[in-house]
Amino acid sequence: MTTNTSRELRALLDAAVDGIILIDHLGEIHSFNRAAERLFGYSSDEVLGRNVSILMTGEDEKEHDGYLARYTETRTPHIIGTGRDVMVRRKDGTQFPAHLSVGVIPGQEPPRFVGFIHDITHSRRIEAESHQLQDRLTHVSRLATVGEMASGIAHELNQPLAAMATYAHACDRLLALPDPDIEEVRSALKLIADQAVRAGDIIRRMRALARGEESARAPVNVNTLIEELATLINSDAKAHGVSCRQELAPDLPLVSANGAQIQQVVVNLVRNALEALAPERAATAGAEVVLATRRLPDGRVEISISDNGPGVPEALKDRIFDPFCTTKATGTGLGLAISRTIVASHEGTLDFEPNQPNGARFNLRLAPEPTDPA
Amino acid sequence: MKDRPALVFIVDDDDAVRNSIRLLMKSLGLATRPLSTAQEFLSTYDPQQPGCLILDVRMPGMSGLELQQQLNLRGAIIPVIFITGHGDVPMAVEAMQQGAFDFLQKPFRDQDLIERVQRALAKDQVNRAELSERAKVRERFDSLTPREREVLALVTSGKANKVMAADLNVSQRTVEIHRARVMEKMHAHSLAQLVRMMLDLEETT
Repeated sequence: MTTNTSRELRALLDAAVDGIILIDHLGEIHSFNRAAERLFGYSSDEVLGRNVSILMTGEDEKEHDGYLARYTETRTPHIIGTGRDVMVRRKDGTQFPAHLSVGVIPGQEPPRFVGFIHDITHSRRIEAESHQLQDRLTHVSRLATVGEMASGIAHELNQPLAAMATYAHACDRLLALPDPDIEEVRSALKLIADQAVRAGDIIRRMRALARGEESARAPVNVNTLIEELATLINSDAKAHGVSCRQELAPDLPLVSANGAQIQQVVVNLVRNALEALAPERAATAGAEVVLATRRLPDGRVEISISDNGPGVPEALKDRIFDPFCTTKATGTGLGLAISRTIVASHEGTLDFEPNQPNGARFNLRLAPEPTDPA
Repeated sequence: MKDRPALVFIVDDDDAVRNSIRLLMKSLGLATRPLSTAQEFLSTYDPQQPGCLILDVRMPGMSGLELQQQLNLRGAIIPVIFITGHGDVPMAVEAMQQGAFDFLQKPFRDQDLIERVQRALAKDQVNRAELSERAKVRERFDSLTPREREVLALVTSGKANKVMAADLNVSQRTVEIHRARVMEKMHAHSLAQLVRMMLDLEETT
């Protein structure tokens, strides 16, 4: 190698945007380019001859010498040729995420290695931000759904309140009668208490639906999720003059899911069905939404929402899950798009098919929680 | 149809609301018939039964408004008090335009409901009395001979006996006899009363 070539090579290394580090089979640093100096905060002089593990963190920092020894002995590549994301350490102790790719320098014995370090702080941040945005969008759309349901919820709350007030007044009047029937009054008092519990229950369910983002997934029975929603859904259905039936299969396997998010998807689909049916209602007395669960032959759990409304217009069939695709005058067109995103984040699927003889049917399918072999 | 006791019908699909209203009515000594669907009410509805109807607006199946329309089609006169959990103004307007007696939002004060029920029952009584009075007048009118009806028409249009005699080409004495027969058959004590009866009849035919 001529001095000229070596100088050119040096210039090439220093011009690279990614850090490039050359080490020997013991991990000792032989070359440290400009970008590496900039990324790690070390000057080349400070690190030459030192073990490369000073740039590493955690497991890698402890095990790196072992990795090298194993490769030198067995020649079985682990990271070589593939690369992976790692956390690396700067001189000042701070860490940053990087994509590391490693190559062996051919024709040298014992082997020498070249590592390329690509800083992925930025793309990681964008990824995190996009996650955060998606979470917020999910939450906002959930609040919007709750808002749309507010009138149904208010109606639902007014029932127990009306009953409580009326029972109380009746008790008052019954007691004022010349020969009051104490037993009757007593049983009415008990009914008042029942209604208070009912009102509390409605509020609890509404809050559960509106609660803030928690990405926690837990093993859940989808029937339980649907039963929690039943009151709200039924009152909403009633407000639309539509009947809502539930057909829940017993003994479903648990699924690993964020319950609130799955509930949001279900509420969304039911609301779509109700809104599709409402204009038809005068013509067809049997307007109905069926909310069903079952276990599919392949073991997955299916939640289906079907209606006997007009169905999805032919022209929209391929676009209904696209953002901003809407048939509603006041719709944002985000409901189904967000629903599908939520389901996808659960490694599930959300599809639709025409319902027989008419209407639409949406199927939400989730993989069962792996069964514990113990 | 002699003085059947009035019944307060309560049609609401919510068990608790329906039952609490039943108890409130009972505390007032009023007889009730609680029903959970509009269809049930319609299929057992007896137009001869005096009373009033407390009706929930929103129910699965036939809604309160739909029941009201059905009742209107049948010419039912039972006063309807709507109750609703929604502060739904357009719906209230529609109900009132369709002839609802009143509209109450849940939850309501007992006094508000009681007062309306009592006024509705009183209204029903008046309606029924008027209706039976009108039926009687109609019966009497139907018993008149063609000649008597001619005389009645002329009398109520304000013609003097002499003019009528000329119009009908009979003697004044004959007119006087017909006129007396009309007053007697119609149970009218004065010309004014006779005129009012005829106006009432015209209104309903």
